[in-house]
Amino acid sequence: MSRFISKMSRRAIVQALIALPALSLFRNQAAPANPGEIDPDEIVEINGWILRRSDLA
Amino acid sequence: MIFDSYEAYRQAGFKPKVCILGSGPAGTTIARKLGAAGIPVVVLEAGSREFSDESQDFYRGKTVGDFYFDLDITRLRFMGGSSNHWAGWCRVLDSQDFEPKAWAPDTGWPISRADIEPYLGEVHDILELPDFRPDVPVSDDIRWVQLIKSPAVRFGEKFADELDKNKNIAVVLNTYATELIGDGRRVTGAKLWSNGQDAGTFTADYFVTCTGGLENSRLLLWSNERSNGGVVPNAAALGRYWMEHPTFQGGNAILANYSEFEVDASNEAFFSPTLVAMERLQIMNFGIRLIESPYPNVKKLIADLACTAPNMAEWMSTQLDQRLRCAAQLYVAWEQAPLASNQIELSKTDVDHAGVPRIELHWKKSPLERRTLLEGLRLFGTTLAQKNLGRVRIDEWISNGGDYPTNEETAGHHHMGGIRMGTDVLKSVVDANCKVHGMDNLYVGGSSVFCTSGQCNPTTTITALACRLGEHLSKVIAV
Repeated sequence: MSRFISKMSRRAIVQALIALPALSLFRNQAAPANPGEIDPDEIVEINGWILRRSDLA
Repeated sequence: MIFDSYEAYRQAGFKPKVCILGSGPAGTTIARKLGAAGIPVVVLEAGSREFSDESQDFYRGKTVGDFYFDLDITRLRFMGGSSNHWAGWCRVLDSQDFEPKAWAPDTGWPISRADIEPYLGEVHDILELPDFRPDVPVSDDIRWVQLIKSPAVRFGEKFADELDKNKNIAVVLNTYATELIGDGRRVTGAKLWSNGQDAGTFTADYFVTCTGGLENSRLLLWSNERSNGGVVPNAAALGRYWMEHPTFQGGNAILANYSEFEVDASNEAFFSPTLVAMERLQIMNFGIRLIESPYPNVKKLIADLACTAPNMAEWMSTQLDQRLRCAAQLYVAWEQAPLASNQIELSKTDVDHAGVPRIELHWKKSPLERRTLLEGLRLFGTTLAQKNLGRVRIDEWISNGGDYPTNEETAGHHHMGGIRMGTDVLKSVVDANCKVHGMDNLYVGGSSVFCTSGQCNPTTTITALACRLGEHLSKVIAV
């Protein structure tokens, strides 16, 4: 792991860290097989919020 | 007539047919019904006209299990009973609350809501209520329900003058029935304690215990122990299936239009599940109470939403600019699953000043209730999102399975069960007429007889059941 990190550029590490909080948004969501199949009215529960998927846009 | 001491009452030479223990909503209502029917009735009230620390001390006790209020705080021991600190919320149990539920053992009553509906007109007069509005479906799963904030009738104050003038009713204050004496068929007398000493034995043809949802069980447990089973011959369920309405803040809601729902004078609205939703999710009944959030809390809520759904948060902040009211705190109160292990026992070590063992209350919330809390909030949140009425955030401790907070309201001060109504003598203590199984002349009034608690405050149902019991007793005695 540490070897992997040492080969990454500082810029890549910073970008990964910035993206980390956003990952929690997708924790409870199955990846759609086809982005065209996303149901905007689907109810999702994220960080305690009960939302429509379209709210996440 | 109202007497300030048992001695004064005795000198008056009043000959009662019925003895009622306790002058709270149930006791007072039954006495008024009997008095109106021309039946002489005496009401023995352990306390005085006013609150006193000395009287209240008789209510001290201990709780084992989940955190609960001190037992001398959660009820009142003076004329009018616990109506003296009642908040005034009124609603009758739903029809579905009386029905057995396959997913929750020991639910179901031997009577239906239709059995108490004929008395609701009287209840409205007693509690000074307008007519209830029908429930309004919000979705297939959630309905708007009405809880009326009544003037919170203090029974001791409201009816003191009427009781005093009624020649068929004698209210005797400062007179504590420490024990009923029974022979397995009838109660033959009650031992009294008045002015700090034994006051002898009192007799009447009929006895009705209306001493409250904790004290009724204590009195019958102690009496039965002293009479070797002669007061409650079938005592397997005595003191058991005790219930409360656990109450916690469960989350928040941002509302697209607060006036979408009818709110009461306090800008509050209430929601409950439909029976279909309860069956599908296998949960108990619950009530979600919307209380308007203060403005700073709304800003925090929208900031929190911005981390998850920025566009939604932006739209909500626009709403905030346009409306003063756009967010609410969600308080959830729910129906406890009736469990035999939630029970009132007599303390083995602690007695009151009259020598009666104090209460040891064993009370725990169950996993089914925990699921009711989480799924109930999800149900409400899903309905708001689907209908685009708003968005709900569930508090983290609920979503993550954390411990119940100990710094909140905890429960409703609603003491129910312990002497439940039923047909199975192993799982109930009184029959559908509130008569103790196997006894000819012993009846129980109040929420002790509740088989299930529903989600709403119990006083309206207590009063309706008391009207029904008063009428039943009038007919029994007239025969």
